[in-house]
Amino acid sequence: MIIAGIDMGMENVKVVIMENGQIRGRGKNLSGGAKRASAAEKALEEALKEAGMGKDKLEKIIATGKGKFDLPFADRCVSEAVTTAHAAKLLCPEATTAVDAGADETVVVTLGTNKLVDEMAINEKCAAGPGIFLRTIARRLELTMEEMNELPPVKPEGPRVNDGCVVFAETDALSLLNWGASPKDIAAAATDAAAVRVCTAINDITGTKLNCAVLFGGLAKNAAFVNALQHYAKLNFVIPDEAEYAGAIGAACAGVNA
Amino acid sequence: MARVNGQIWETRPLEFWDRAKELRAGWEQSAESKEKIVGQGHGAWAGAFPAITIIEDNPRGSTIAAKDMPFARTARLASEVRGWGRELCGYHGVLWGCQFLGQNPDGTPFNNRKLVVPMPATCDQHTKRGIQCRDFEPVPQWQGDATVYVGENDFDREVEMVNHRVYNELKMINDIERIFGQKFDEDAMREIVGLYSKVAEYRAEIFMMQMNTPAPLSAKDLYSFYTLGGRLTIDPVELEKFWKLVRDEIRWRVDNKIAAVGTERFRFLEAHPPQYSFLKYYRYLEQYGAVCVGSQYTNFTAAVYERKPNGEVAQRETNPPRRQIGIEEFKTREDLFRRTPELNIRGPGGFKSDENHRPYALNEFADMYHCDGAFFWVWRCGVGCTMTRKEQAIRLRRAGYSVLTYEGSAPGDPTDLDEKRFLEQLDAWMETNNLVKYEN
Repeated sequence: MIIAGIDMGMENVKVVIMENGQIRGRGKNLSGGAKRASAAEKALEEALKEAGMGKDKLEKIIATGKGKFDLPFADRCVSEAVTTAHAAKLLCPEATTAVDAGADETVVVTLGTNKLVDEMAINEKCAAGPGIFLRTIARRLELTMEEMNELPPVKPEGPRVNDGCVVFAETDALSLLNWGASPKDIAAAATDAAAVRVCTAINDITGTKLNCAVLFGGLAKNAAFVNALQHYAKLNFVIPDEAEYAGAIGAACAGVNA
Repeated sequence: MARVNGQIWETRPLEFWDRAKELRAGWEQSAESKEKIVGQGHGAWAGAFPAITIIEDNPRGSTIAAKDMPFARTARLASEVRGWGRELCGYHGVLWGCQFLGQNPDGTPFNNRKLVVPMPATCDQHTKRGIQCRDFEPVPQWQGDATVYVGENDFDREVEMVNHRVYNELKMINDIERIFGQKFDEDAMREIVGLYSKVAEYRAEIFMMQMNTPAPLSAKDLYSFYTLGGRLTIDPVELEKFWKLVRDEIRWRVDNKIAAVGTERFRFLEAHPPQYSFLKYYRYLEQYGAVCVGSQYTNFTAAVYERKPNGEVAQRETNPPRRQIGIEEFKTREDLFRRTPELNIRGPGGFKSDENHRPYALNEFADMYHCDGAFFWVWRCGVGCTMTRKEQAIRLRRAGYSVLTYEGSAPGDPTDLDEKRFLEQLDAWMETNNLVKYEN
């Protein structure tokens, strides 16, 4: 069965073409703001090209992500919690917990034995948007996303920003900049704050199945964020190569029995 | 009856519904009576003062918010500019705003309160109730103490606490007689206490029957009428007749397996009131076969149940035990006040304040009502409502229940409710429980 999984995120749209559990093609595009459907179609074309097939070969198109309902050509929409669990089962079969930290949302699931998901937690409102927050801070501090990966550790006596609210955190960052703090130290503090907020969702899980945790989402590519999150969550995450495409992969897997 | 996709159980409309609507409409018409001295607060005793009526903030504020959202918003803004921010319960923001604006939603002048009796409660929102009326113009306020303590049950201490509350209330009645020149009608109070006791028995039986599968009532049904006689003060004779009618119909529904929600296959509980501007989420969840069987707020106001050592579910003992004597034996005013339900310390209605019971109450609820999951609003306001909510969620998760929490500003204030995000989270909650939406 050939299925396209589309993860229509707030920052990027990711597409995979899967055939019998194997990834045949991948595509990625900026999420397109109000033109999400056309952005997704473009990413789908790219994935189909890599897979070497035409759209007519697709048996199903399954969408997930915050913008999933904006894709009229999708056959079905699946929630992010379910796709995260499916992706974990495929990409890291030994995982007991999966965390997806993206531009807007954090989803944590523990994987069940008799059912797909045992426990689920989604970020609180004030903990939304960690990925968008870090991109905004990078722009403010005139740092590239690559530079955001390689940040010094936060020093106890160094600058800190608010870890409860992104609006306060951004205000703190600007104040620190005006006082002469180094952009990289401020960025490290902001990354630390984002990790604290993502960790609030992990803390909602009752902790019985945290022995093998896998991390997905755009933030899984940010080494500084991963280090900070591992520190606060007291976990060592497995990060598969396809971590950024996990939502799309999970959507395609969910489509098999749908 | 027409069947819908996924229907498992037979379902029928509630026959007492029209009567409930009549009673509610009657209350709304009489709530802001111009003929009576209007007080703001809480207390069934007001019925024994023929010239006095007491309005409670919650039902009045939520009714206004549900019926006239633009006006409610204006009223909340009027409260906000007076310094009452969004940490204040939306009900109060709306009702107090009416007073600041000087008008009701229909444009008629607001009936300024002549006395205030805030509810004695651990919830800061309940105890705040008198403040703005008293500050708006100098009116008398009687603030009862909340009978709360932390630690193991202490019978002697509780007896003294009940005495304290009884003498509080007797003093208040004496003061009202003196200040307003009104006579407290003890015969009327005797009748009220008797009728309310019967109503409490009917309600306790109804909420016991709610443990059946399929549930004969849903929380959405309950939120439309459960306040009749509790938060909404209406004629006690009519009230007793109404609740008997409800009890009889629910018995019949249980005997005949008539469901509130024909698709019931997932039962969940809530802890406190929902977002009243968005009750359609109950209907949304019905598409997944999920039914809310009630909340602490609805089901526990009648009685708190517990599993006895022999495994039976029965009402939790009040402490100190209510005196099981006939109403005719109430000789004095003091006897009558000893019987009023709000004096129970660790009994029905004490779920908010009993710190020994509260942390475990929801696990017992989930067990006794055969729930699969729980959904908790985490309100920005109302410390008494949301205190320990996340801890309770974790405790339920540990016991194997599927729990979702969602944040909002207050039941009567939809400002912070992101409806789209909320529905998406409900989708996620249902899908992770292997439930797929039935197509309409």
